[in-house]
Amino acid sequence: MLKYIEKRLLISVITVFIILGLLFLMLHNMPGSPFNDEKITAVQRAALNAKYGLDQPLHVQFINYIKAMLKGDFGVSYVIQKNMQISELLKARIGVSVRIGLQAVGLGTLIGIVAGVLAALKRNSWIDTFATVISVVGVSFPSYVFALAMSYYIGFKMNWLPLLYTESDAFLSSIMPTISLCMFSMATVARFTRTEMVEIMGSDYMLLADSKGIGVLRLFGIHGLRNAMIPIITVLAPLTVELMTGSLVVEQIFAIPGIGSLLVTAIQFNDYNVVLAVVFVYSVLFILVMLIVDVLYCIIDPRIRLAKESR
Amino acid sequence: MKGWKKLIPILTALSLVLSGCGSADPSAKEQAPGEATADSGKVLRVGRMTELFDMNSVIATEADCLEIVSAIIEPLFITSEDGTPANALCESYEVSEDGTEYTFHIRKEANWMGGTPVTAHDFVFAWQKLVSPDVASEYSFMMEVAAVKNASPIIAGEMDPKELGVSAKDDKTLVVELDHAVPFFLNLMTFPSFCPINQAYYEEKGTDYSLGAENLLCCGPFYMSEWEVGGNTYQLKKNPEYWDADNVKVDQIDFQIIKDPQQTMLAYENGDLDYVRLSGEQISKYEGQPGFTRIEEGYLWYLSPNLNPKSPEYSCGLENENLRKALALSYDKDAICFDILKDGSIPADFAIPNRLAIGPDGKDFRETAGTYLKTDKEKAKEYWETAKKELGVNEVTIELLYDDSDSTPLIAQFLQSEMEGTLPGLHIELKAQPKKSRTQLMQDREYQLGLTRWGPDYADPMTYLDMWTTGSVYNYGEWSNADYDALIEAANGELATDPATRWEKLKEAEKLVMDHAVILPVYQKGTAAMVRENVSGLYFFPVGVGTLYKFVEVK
Amino acid sequence: MENMEKRMLTAEDFTPAKQNEIEIEKAYASQSFWKDVVSRFIKNKGAVFGLLMILLIVLMSFVGPSISGYDYRTQDMDQRNLPPHIAGMEYIPFFSGEETVYVGSKAYVTNVYEDKGIMDVTHIFGTDSLGRDQFARVWTGTRVSLYVALVAILIDTFVGMSYGLVSGYLGGKTDFFLQRIVEVLSTIPTTVIVTLLIVVLKPGLLSITIALMITEWIGMSRIARAQTLRYKEREFVLASRTLGERTLPIIFREILPNIFGQVIVMCMMTIPNAIFTEAFLAFIGLGIPAPLASLGSLISDGFKNMTMYPFMVACPVVVLALLMLCFNLMADGLRDAFDPRMKEA
Repeated sequence: MLKYIEKRLLISVITVFIILGLLFLMLHNMPGSPFNDEKITAVQRAALNAKYGLDQPLHVQFINYIKAMLKGDFGVSYVIQKNMQISELLKARIGVSVRIGLQAVGLGTLIGIVAGVLAALKRNSWIDTFATVISVVGVSFPSYVFALAMSYYIGFKMNWLPLLYTESDAFLSSIMPTISLCMFSMATVARFTRTEMVEIMGSDYMLLADSKGIGVLRLFGIHGLRNAMIPIITVLAPLTVELMTGSLVVEQIFAIPGIGSLLVTAIQFNDYNVVLAVVFVYSVLFILVMLIVDVLYCIIDPRIRLAKESR
Repeated sequence: MKGWKKLIPILTALSLVLSGCGSADPSAKEQAPGEATADSGKVLRVGRMTELFDMNSVIATEADCLEIVSAIIEPLFITSEDGTPANALCESYEVSEDGTEYTFHIRKEANWMGGTPVTAHDFVFAWQKLVSPDVASEYSFMMEVAAVKNASPIIAGEMDPKELGVSAKDDKTLVVELDHAVPFFLNLMTFPSFCPINQAYYEEKGTDYSLGAENLLCCGPFYMSEWEVGGNTYQLKKNPEYWDADNVKVDQIDFQIIKDPQQTMLAYENGDLDYVRLSGEQISKYEGQPGFTRIEEGYLWYLSPNLNPKSPEYSCGLENENLRKALALSYDKDAICFDILKDGSIPADFAIPNRLAIGPDGKDFRETAGTYLKTDKEKAKEYWETAKKELGVNEVTIELLYDDSDSTPLIAQFLQSEMEGTLPGLHIELKAQPKKSRTQLMQDREYQLGLTRWGPDYADPMTYLDMWTTGSVYNYGEWSNADYDALIEAANGELATDPATRWEKLKEAEKLVMDHAVILPVYQKGTAAMVRENVSGLYFFPVGVGTLYKFVEVK
Repeated sequence: MENMEKRMLTAEDFTPAKQNEIEIEKAYASQSFWKDVVSRFIKNKGAVFGLLMILLIVLMSFVGPSISGYDYRTQDMDQRNLPPHIAGMEYIPFFSGEETVYVGSKAYVTNVYEDKGIMDVTHIFGTDSLGRDQFARVWTGTRVSLYVALVAILIDTFVGMSYGLVSGYLGGKTDFFLQRIVEVLSTIPTTVIVTLLIVVLKPGLLSITIALMITEWIGMSRIARAQTLRYKEREFVLASRTLGERTLPIIFREILPNIFGQVIVMCMMTIPNAIFTEAFLAFIGLGIPAPLASLGSLISDGFKNMTMYPFMVACPVVVLALLMLCFNLMADGLRDAFDPRMKEA
């Protein structure tokens, strides 16, 4: 197992470079440039390109970028905060995104598991139907509709919670963003939990356990949930990384200075270095989380062996 | 650690329930609109759509940044209510007879915060930075527009920035040499790119200059008191050392960035903001309510037909003047402005926007120039018949290129429906693209009919007319007319010292563009804003600095 | 009968029973299996309701526009932003044509239809900012979104599921390699990929399909892989492997049926995702070109006016949610019906 993890970590360095290389190539083939294309002249463009080293051949640019990156220098922003070090820019924004993302996943998972277990226990009852409806609403209403609706009724009409996110009131003002972001993970977790529970309830070992007189709750807690964990973490893991790196619309609505809107703005304005840096952070997180997920599989179900080749 | 994290969602849920039941104390939020929040005195609270991208006056290009730059570092002149330049850092000036040398006397009492006087050297330093290739400012072309001596070769990297035609005769006297007279030179001086920068401070801060509130040295009516880079709020405070501090009536301006327009309005109605811009359908909702303010912008939205005969797959008949005229007259501009947009946009029967430039006669350009290409569906049909005969076809299919910004998709769909409705046999296919791709396609001339806009850079018709000369990058349709080129060349050169004749020539030039339907004008963009009734003294301009905060008052 | 008495036992009598008899038994068995499935499905009220509603929605997506009497593209500048209204049936709440207008903190209820003197005009879902009938647009849009949903399901099952099954079952080096590809694909922002696609592709259904093909299958492949990892070491799989069954039959005959539940749930998650992705594609010019709409694009357009004209976003969202609910109910019912273990439940 340790050897496998070691191998994965080693390879992930290469994966990250491949990702950055591909992205680098793609970004430089995007229409437009980081500069104000509508107004600048050819001479100005040449000067700007020369200033930022964008006039060199692509592979030279990439090698320079990687060299600097290995020293911890992610370059400067061309548009969003002109000439500012990207590391500074990210540092200022990443905390709030991670916090709200984790809150959303946590809340979603909690409600989702409860809803899923209840639905499975009372299959085909009104609780089950209600849980289904809630999950369907959770996946088919876009989070921005939730966000604005909440902001209108809870924030504006009722005046219960602050409309906008503020650092000074970080907890209360992050409640609405958290809830609107958690809907999708809640729905996913609820559905998977219910499916797994229903299947496990019919399985032989549950019947056996039941006949041994182990309580229902304990049955669910130990055997049921443990099995349900596999699909749940499979879906939740990438979702967590996604939510931690921010959501555009929710950040826009609640005025959260996170990195979700930063990435979208950066892509829109061809701010290459910002895109690369955000994707770098994202891919490192993603690859690590995927490794953790695979390890968790083996812990949850010891029969799973990843390194082993079939046949 | 793990347990702690699990607590967060529980607490979140709990607090929501609790706050729901107890209906938490809302009194904290229920302050009267516009009332000051703290002990800081008179406060104006402004809602914004975009972050501040840059506060370095020689690099900033975004409208929001330019506004703030001019509020914290004044240029030589500011635009006064009627659109003419008024003295700011400049106390008086002289101009040579041929109009190629300006001497500005800088206010004796003008100081940077902390007491260092604002000197002519600060201007020389900033202007040299503006054209320097190491700075590579996107607005360096303003120096070329101003025709400051040697600007072009310096920008191209062929000459040292020190050679720029600007010098400090003494600490308070600035001398500017021009290549040729520029009739709107003083107007240009209101543009924030021409603001001074204190060299010692700039060099002391190095690469940190202008990044964050603590890295800015101000000499304007306000100074930047709070601005975390990457944050969603920033704040200006009254500069007590400002030379005209007596006329600055507010103590503080708070800016809050909200990118969602509906949320912005909720915050406004909640009493959290005093001045916000409206967008889209919101305008019809707030129209007529107290505080509703219309703002004219300088942006002209127009359709650019590709009439390049060298690329028939793109011009697809648009090289035919009658077809272009048929299109130009076929859509109801009033409906666009008064039914769909309702934001104070006005139907454009012209190529030079309203309220852009004031002529030597003291009148707005539009007052004395004609109107062209007014919507006339019957006449459009006549042109259409002629065009079909000339082209020898019965049906024409044209692709309309537009981008995803703001109301553009609505306008494009309306244009399609109008054109197809008026001209039977015409098919308009809609092609949406992100803005960057749209611009690129048009610059590569790989489009048929493009919906685009142009914002003025300075208060002279030339900011538009320059576009349609042969070989201009922005002449998307590749129209070429020797008479027109000659007119523009004359207006830019020999006629500079004869403003009245020049003005007439500019009108002629516009007439040529319109008569040949080189562009099909649609509308001049307006905006609407909500400004609390107790706020006065906010001035809005279609060119350069959009909002002037210096004279704002909160009662 | 007489013959019987005379009958002598011959060797023939000891040959195995005839082939066709066995076949009959098989046929009987399978018939009863399908019968069971159908009867289990029919007993599940929710599932039947879901199926009927889906059929109804599909039907409406074709006849809906003609019911409204408008088409999806005709604009009317005099009838912009009208709330839902059915002439002559104003007593039905929501379709009365009334709307609440807030001026400051005061609320007024007005009827725009009355004000305009067009009480005889019916717009079941109201109109949009260009005065187009929303009912016609929503149902036309449903057709597009149903197509997108179908594409998403196909991509999910054919690409995502197979990828996950193969990666999970083969394991080792193959899995290692295939999962690195997934990592690369899922970390490059979709917006970047899509923006590049715009340069090469023309807008339309084909482009949507290609764009969805690039990213939409990843979630499904993860689930399929995780489930395969769980089942591939189970006794029944080991048994058929020991019996010398080849890889593909094991994957599809032994493992697939066991992971069906999760696959269906995952499909339910990807469909709305695909529908919203399509809206994003339309917005930047890769989806269905305007004025044709889809549920996704109607929702994102309606959202812009949500605080002022909530019906503009409500109608398409409700149709989408209803569609998803029915899909879920039906899929749950189907799975239960196919899974014999569920009998007693």
